[in-house]
Amino acid sequence: MSSDQDHLKETDTEARFEFKKEERSSFQAEKGLTEETIRVISEDKGEPEWMLKRRLRALEQFQEMPMPTDWPGQPDLSEVDVNEIIPYIRPDVETRESVDDWTDLPDDIKDTFDKLGIPEAEKNALSGVGAQYESEVVYQNMQEQWEEKGVIFCNMDEAVQEHGDLVREHFMTKCVPPSDNKFAALHGAIWSGGSFVYVPEDTTVEMPVQAYFRMNSEGMGQFEHTLIIAEENSEVHYIEGCSAPKYSAFNLHSGGVEVFVGEGAHVQYSTVQNWSKNTYNLNTKRALVEADGRMEWISGSMGSKATMLYPSTVLKGPGASDNHITIAFAGEGQNIDTGAKVYHNAPETKSTIESKSISKDGGRTNYRGLVHIADGAADSSTSVECDALMFDNESTSDTMPYMEINESTVDVAHEATVGKIGDEDVFYLQSRGLDDDDAKQMIVSGFIEPITEELPIEYAVELNRLVELEMEGSLG
Amino acid sequence: MSAQVPADLSEATVHEIANSRDEPDWLRETRLKALKAMDDLEMPDVIQTPGRRWTNLGQLDFDELADPLNQADDTERVTDEGVEVLPFTEAVEKHPKLMQAKFGSVIDPETNYLTALSVALFTTGTFIYVPEGVDAEDVTIRTEMNSRSLFSHTLVVTEDSSSVTILERISSGDAAVDGERYFSNLVEVDAAENSYVQYGSLQTLDEETYNVTLKRGDADVYSTINWIEGNLGSRLTRSDVETELNGDSSETKIVGAFFGHDDQHFDVNARVWHQAEHTTADLVTRGVLDDTARSVYEGVQDVGREAWDTSSYQRENTLMLSDDSEADASPKLIINNHDTEASHSATVGQVDREDLFYLTSRTIPERDARNMLVEGFFVPVLEEIAVEEFREDLERRISARLRE
Repeated sequence: MSSDQDHLKETDTEARFEFKKEERSSFQAEKGLTEETIRVISEDKGEPEWMLKRRLRALEQFQEMPMPTDWPGQPDLSEVDVNEIIPYIRPDVETRESVDDWTDLPDDIKDTFDKLGIPEAEKNALSGVGAQYESEVVYQNMQEQWEEKGVIFCNMDEAVQEHGDLVREHFMTKCVPPSDNKFAALHGAIWSGGSFVYVPEDTTVEMPVQAYFRMNSEGMGQFEHTLIIAEENSEVHYIEGCSAPKYSAFNLHSGGVEVFVGEGAHVQYSTVQNWSKNTYNLNTKRALVEADGRMEWISGSMGSKATMLYPSTVLKGPGASDNHITIAFAGEGQNIDTGAKVYHNAPETKSTIESKSISKDGGRTNYRGLVHIADGAADSSTSVECDALMFDNESTSDTMPYMEINESTVDVAHEATVGKIGDEDVFYLQSRGLDDDDAKQMIVSGFIEPITEELPIEYAVELNRLVELEMEGSLG
Repeated sequence: MSAQVPADLSEATVHEIANSRDEPDWLRETRLKALKAMDDLEMPDVIQTPGRRWTNLGQLDFDELADPLNQADDTERVTDEGVEVLPFTEAVEKHPKLMQAKFGSVIDPETNYLTALSVALFTTGTFIYVPEGVDAEDVTIRTEMNSRSLFSHTLVVTEDSSSVTILERISSGDAAVDGERYFSNLVEVDAAENSYVQYGSLQTLDEETYNVTLKRGDADVYSTINWIEGNLGSRLTRSDVETELNGDSSETKIVGAFFGHDDQHFDVNARVWHQAEHTTADLVTRGVLDDTARSVYEGVQDVGREAWDTSSYQRENTLMLSDDSEADASPKLIINNHDTEASHSATVGQVDREDLFYLTSRTIPERDARNMLVEGFFVPVLEEIAVEEFREDLERRISARLRE
């Protein structure tokens, strides 16, 4: 392990994220999406009949639904052609199950995750780690103390086999049905890999659990599914990280995340995404929150060519609450269309959304949000705050919030500001001996601090490093 | 959602309107072109979120609503020294070249289905011409609608360094017309260099009337266009108030007030395009909703690539008096120039309970206390209205509605 640490120190962040590996796979599906492909994937995974049926139904829905095209200012998806995507690649590992000993992984896969610092983080700060390579989770480990309490953390395919009843009840039924949008349907048809987290009643998982997703092959799609069930009065913090190197062909990432927050439970979901700049990142993430439960979304959207991602929360029970903290950084050629959705469906529910965006070198950021307060959601309150920082005149920043208010005893507030990086601030820092780049870097770090301070330290450091790289324009 | 042109609406209808008004060929051609374009035009954009369209303009049934050959209105025009305030027919005779040049220059008749319909069929409207250097404060247009449908087109042209304050009132007349009605109102303002236009509008149509209005200004260098849009009446109002800041250092303020009760529906939109340097915009809208009334608000601040040194602000506040009302809002910032200071905010809430408690503890009956707070809520908007008569009228009507 010490060599890993040394290696981490020596390698700069760019090398950490941009290296490529020879493609290795034991099974690779044909390009495109047909019923045949889905049957093959399902059979390869040894899935029960009900899951195959769900996949085929989702495929039908996918084929019926049009591409999203009519949103004002949305990213151009014309390049996204499902027929050009390899929907499934099983990496060439010895067994069907993911291994729980790091040293059992093939060297090059191990090396990949070593470079990303996964074992390091696990040793120091995490309750458990899952690592997905291409379409399958290759490594999964949970510290014993949590397992003893009945906490389940395993890969999603394993969960279908081992925890069938739980999965059958929750998987793309109540939270994210495939009919939600075209890419949710696509996901329902060809999902593979991902994490399953189950926390029993009155159990607090004090250290975060983490999953890391890595796309390595050119022209592939990654469709991992994450299902988190936190029973009454439980607590868990889930962290996911993603990256993929850059290839000339486009990659598609269309994940699905479903979170069930039981009565009085508390779930925090943190993501730092750093997809390569030819990846289309089109995810559906949603949480259902029961009475007095609390959901927290923390996301950093850094890479990708285009992102359309609006983590959403349905506050179902009285006293349920939700916090969103998001940051988007769009550099040259990038279009980050992100925001948050909250449905207040019960009385005395609360939500706050804090969104920050930075655009630079022709990058385009967009906050697209929806706050819905249903009739009957009396005494609810919500506040939305968006701040955008623009570096130059080639960049664009749009704010498009939607507020639907059906209840009178509510407190709804939305605020947004846009500004350029302050010349005076830069001047002040320069006069204290910093050069122009360092001064700007420092201002941006200050701007995103409300986000980074919510993240575990490793992630805060990673986010800051990524921002640094974006600022230098040296990534991708 | 492209709408079908009503069956009995034909070129003959348009010719008949043009003939009866003895119109020049260019205007007749403009009308015919608009009519023809309707086949391919869409209804105005309406905000959509998953599963719903916030205003359903598709429900407007022009087979029923449009009776273009029986339009009737009673319009009173009060002018001020040095300003020409003319009915459209007279204006076309008196200023043929100016009218031809300016008509449709700010609002393209083919903007959408409803603007094209309006241009094809309008029979009333006013031309306001303010020559160079003239300052005028009291121009008033009072329009009473006395027919099933009425289409109106108003054109304001200012010359350099002039100023004018215009007050428009739209109401239903006494003439009995049973059933639903339709009022269409297009207003174009062409503000020349260093001129100032304040255009106030107070709409109190009866509650069986569908009301669609598009007001748009084109602001030249150093000019200012200020809009005040007061909506109290109608069954459904779709109101778009827009300014294009095309000249350097031009400014605009869009002030809106609405008060909905019963099952009234207001779709209120304020938009500004910053296209030049050093431009400033301030959008302020306040609305109150009671009973099952509904409001939909969209505010757009669009800062173009060349709009250096822009300041743009937007505030929208809605007060809900009833649990059965609904307020939807979408304030949008679209920023393409980084040398910009822009902000927007929107709030929805009810009458502040602490304020209410304070007043009732001072022995003011609860209902009176609530009414005082609602009246107070409109103050920031009322303060923006320079014309005393207009301000007092709006205040009186708000207060009357509260005491119904």
